[in-house]
Amino acid sequence: MATVYKQQKSKKDKADGVVEKSDAKAIFKNKQRVLLLCSRGVNYRHRHLLSDLENLLPHAKKDAKLDSKSKLHIINELADLNNCNNSIFFEVRKRQDLYMWLSKTPNGPSMKFHIQNIHTMEELKMTGNCLKGSRHILSFDKNFETSPYWILVKELFTQIFGVPKTSRRIKPFIDHVISFSIVDNRIWFRNYQITEKPVEHRTIADTTDLQLVEIGPRFVMNPIRTFDGSFGGQTVFENPEFVSPNVVRSNTRNAKAERYRSRMDAIAKKDEKLKEAVLPEDPLSEKNVFS
Amino acid sequence: MSDSESDNEQKYTLEDLEGSDAEMLSADEDGPIDILTRQKVTINNEAALKQLTEKIALPTNIPWSETQSITSTQSISLVDPDDDLKRELAFYNQALEAAVLGRDRIKKEGGVFQRPDDYFAEMVKSDDHMAKIRQKLLDENASIQATETAKAQRELKKFGKKVQTEKRLEREKAKADALDRITTLKKKRQGDSLAGGDDDFGVGLESDDESPRAGGKGQKRPSSSSVDSRNKRHKKDQKFGFGGKKRNQKSNTADSSADMTGFNTKNNRSSQFKRGHKAAKPGGSKQRPGKSRRQNGAGRK
Repeated sequence: MATVYKQQKSKKDKADGVVEKSDAKAIFKNKQRVLLLCSRGVNYRHRHLLSDLENLLPHAKKDAKLDSKSKLHIINELADLNNCNNSIFFEVRKRQDLYMWLSKTPNGPSMKFHIQNIHTMEELKMTGNCLKGSRHILSFDKNFETSPYWILVKELFTQIFGVPKTSRRIKPFIDHVISFSIVDNRIWFRNYQITEKPVEHRTIADTTDLQLVEIGPRFVMNPIRTFDGSFGGQTVFENPEFVSPNVVRSNTRNAKAERYRSRMDAIAKKDEKLKEAVLPEDPLSEKNVFS
Repeated sequence: MSDSESDNEQKYTLEDLEGSDAEMLSADEDGPIDILTRQKVTINNEAALKQLTEKIALPTNIPWSETQSITSTQSISLVDPDDDLKRELAFYNQALEAAVLGRDRIKKEGGVFQRPDDYFAEMVKSDDHMAKIRQKLLDENASIQATETAKAQRELKKFGKKVQTEKRLEREKAKADALDRITTLKKKRQGDSLAGGDDDFGVGLESDDESPRAGGKGQKRPSSSSVDSRNKRHKKDQKFGFGGKKRNQKSNTADSSADMTGFNTKNNRSSQFKRGHKAAKPGGSKQRPGKSRRQNGAGRK
């Protein structure tokens, strides 16, 4: 009802010639909320990654697993129901391949990535720690300014992975930094804790008194496609270098099968050769002479 | 956006793809790679991408602290992305630069950066998890130290062996020297006997011989040659035996088994023939009385 009233009022204002207040932009608030959900068939690693992201992004709302992998547009409605304007969707295929959808719901754009080399926070190798709900600094590689595609990716990531000031459950300190880097045409995700270096460990070569300790998770995002709609629409970018993990697997399987096949070929060739090599019956053989 | 426009924007970079398709074809058949059956079309609609960016972009005049996003000043360019160490270092440097710049900006905008030490709140990783991490680090350190000590020990052992061989060589050399000295002495004696000087032989030998013996290992204790100890040794040898074969000494021989000197017929007599045994006099007076009689008798007493 309120929206209808507002619309009507703005129409009337326009008609009346009332100029909108110029400080409307000054009080702009970066409001982002992210719906976080996955499809059925996740394995433990994917599930842990999802919960890690939920821990790191206080503006994220986790939802129940999605049953369908074909009707992804319903995520738009789900996001609407949860008052979210972004969504991260983990699509798992064959219980092993993880695809991550990042989308601005409901109007797009949306991007699909293949996630590789997942290391979750559960692993004991990464020793850092940070406050739950502290806002992080987003660090982007300079490569993100090289093409329109990467610029779009950067903009989307800034909105989805950046924690807005107004979000709930945030803490007022900044103790970690999330970095995105482009290497090998993939995006590498890292999360570091920021600590002050103890005075006794500092050297003259150090330019700063800060040091980083990795918290995790870490993963690599391989771009596949970008659509102009949310979970659908026209493809505006497609990665020509992307090779489906199914193709990779089938290639390795075929390479393995090659040995067996060549052996079977050799046996078949030998059989044929033996068949052809039968000698014609000799009229002077013992059998023919004495029967 | 109309279809024709998007068609114009699509780039058909077949050159890039020919390599991969050619590989696929050559794997399938042996023929020439002229015919490409399937061609992948690369889509990179830059105009649409720009438009989309504009559509979703946040206004540019918002304070930095709204997004807290920093783009690095140097782009990462790695020769070999599989080189873990270099790659991670590049990422680290990028993030560190962002952290430093971010702190400056936050301070400029009047925000707080570092968490004070006395601020306790829920962390991303639980205390249990951090304890596990610490334990793992400790274990790793312990294992590293263990291997280090083992390595040092091994080195020491090697060195010890060297010392041992040196000692052995030295001993052998000393022995050879002693032998040499003896042969020279013998020669000397021969020369002396030829000369007819018998008297100083004993003195000369002893005086020459004493010095190596004094430091030798086989030096006897002075007491061992005393009369008492010699007697004692003699007694012991008589009692326990001395020298000779030790094997089969305790087993019987034909002689030993035929030897009946140690056998006492009196003690080993069968019970039938023993005097004074109850079997020898059945119904004797000393037989135990019956139960009732015993009890009555006891009552009587």
